[in-house]
Amino acid sequence: MVTPIKLEDLCAEIKTNAGCQCEVYDGVHGDHTLSITPDQLKPVIDVIFKTFDYCHLSAITVQQRKNQPDEIEVFYNFWSGSGFSLLLRLPMKSAKLPSIISTIPGADFYEREAAEMFGIEFTGRDETPPLLLPDEWDQGPPFIGEKEKNG
Amino acid sequence: MDKISIPIGPQHPLLKEPLSMMVDISGEKVLGGSLRLGYVHRGIERLAQQRTYVQNIHLIERICGICSHVHTTTYCYAVEALLGIEIPPRAQYIRALMCELERIHSHLLWLGILAKHIGLDTIFMHTWHDREMVLDIMEEVSGGRISHAANQIGGVRFDLDEEKGEMIRKILIKLHSQVEGLLDVIESEPAAIARTKGVAPISPDLIKAYGVVGPIARASGVDVDMRRDASLPPYDQLEVKVITHSDGDAWARTFVRVEETRVSLNLCETIIREMPRGDVVVHAPRRVPEGEVIIRSEAPRGELFYYLRSDGSDKPARLKVRTPTLAALSLLPVQLSEINVADIPVVLAGVDLCIACADR
Repeated sequence: MVTPIKLEDLCAEIKTNAGCQCEVYDGVHGDHTLSITPDQLKPVIDVIFKTFDYCHLSAITVQQRKNQPDEIEVFYNFWSGSGFSLLLRLPMKSAKLPSIISTIPGADFYEREAAEMFGIEFTGRDETPPLLLPDEWDQGPPFIGEKEKNG
Repeated sequence: MDKISIPIGPQHPLLKEPLSMMVDISGEKVLGGSLRLGYVHRGIERLAQQRTYVQNIHLIERICGICSHVHTTTYCYAVEALLGIEIPPRAQYIRALMCELERIHSHLLWLGILAKHIGLDTIFMHTWHDREMVLDIMEEVSGGRISHAANQIGGVRFDLDEEKGEMIRKILIKLHSQVEGLLDVIESEPAAIARTKGVAPISPDLIKAYGVVGPIARASGVDVDMRRDASLPPYDQLEVKVITHSDGDAWARTFVRVEETRVSLNLCETIIREMPRGDVVVHAPRRVPEGEVIIRSEAPRGELFYYLRSDGSDKPARLKVRTPTLAALSLLPVQLSEINVADIPVVLAGVDLCIACADR
């Protein structure tokens, strides 16, 4: 059985080894959530995967809130005995994130899905061919509202 | 020798659901492959935002034709967490009973497919016959063999009386002896051993890197099971024996699933024996207060992940579903590399593909 991760241990590891100050986001019931910036993503993920004996990426959850149409929220949801997530907020017009598939190859499908459903660009990897939508799909990311799509 | 690329699917006798694979081979060796999903993508996450919480139960149930109940169970627990309600203990037990029955029929279905692929047609016929007994139970208690419509927000739609409990117990006893026989075959039948031992082993490091979950992970020695680890009720009150194996090959994956079938049979008996008396549903409001929740449960193929956000209306603002097959599929091209062409069906069967789940 994997020993559940403690939030204070996670924050301390990230602060010591990645030099990042984490902000706790307590909006999600069920998982500990830490808010970080896009430039902190890769170092934080490196620390997480090196520090804990067992940890897997459960999902990349992306969403757009109606009251914040200029922003996209991306959660990296992990499991290491208990659930925890990293939350990143990106500007709608230039939604870019570094790809993490060099550290977590299993993130490939999740990044491809996030790219086609929400239009996020993942840098540092090959092009993201469609995973779920048809090849001839030309109506843009299905989860993004018409207003945002047209600027 | 020259490289040849062979397309498998989206329609192929090897596949029970549509998936497109391009497999590169050189002689009898597989060099690698790539996948294309989406042939049964229905946009369920997007559709869920356009339907009420109650209507979504019927939509969610149709994500998968094998593990439909665990999807609605996870969804209902997510909605109930946002509503701040706890369902009656008896309803929790009925939900768990259906989940375990679903796991038994899923594992038996899978074992039949593997047996068919490796030429053990007798085992295929036995397992699918045994699976019918489980489907009969599910039909008897819920009215549906595949889509059971057992869940509602606040509890379950039906109760179990003494007579039905006794009927289930009798069938479970029969199934126990059948599954013992299957385990004997897996452990002693030379053809089964020759086709699975040492085939496509997966190391724990690969399991971690690809986020693979469920029986595949446990067959590689990764001791993770959401029934025990995520403590969704009533599993927090039941003792779940987690089966692991260290070999990580196709044989270990078979062993783990057959042993898990035995564990689920025992769990079903415990659930029926210890089921508390009382109501099976509580009143649940139609409007869900603002909030976000993550629920993890153990589907037959592993960790099932649901994220649900409410904006205070009667429809979800966002529903994210990550099914275990999607994680397992990302490792498939790696598993295929360096195996023999004749082992492709064994590797595919070992994944226990559920494309409808992966596509959503």
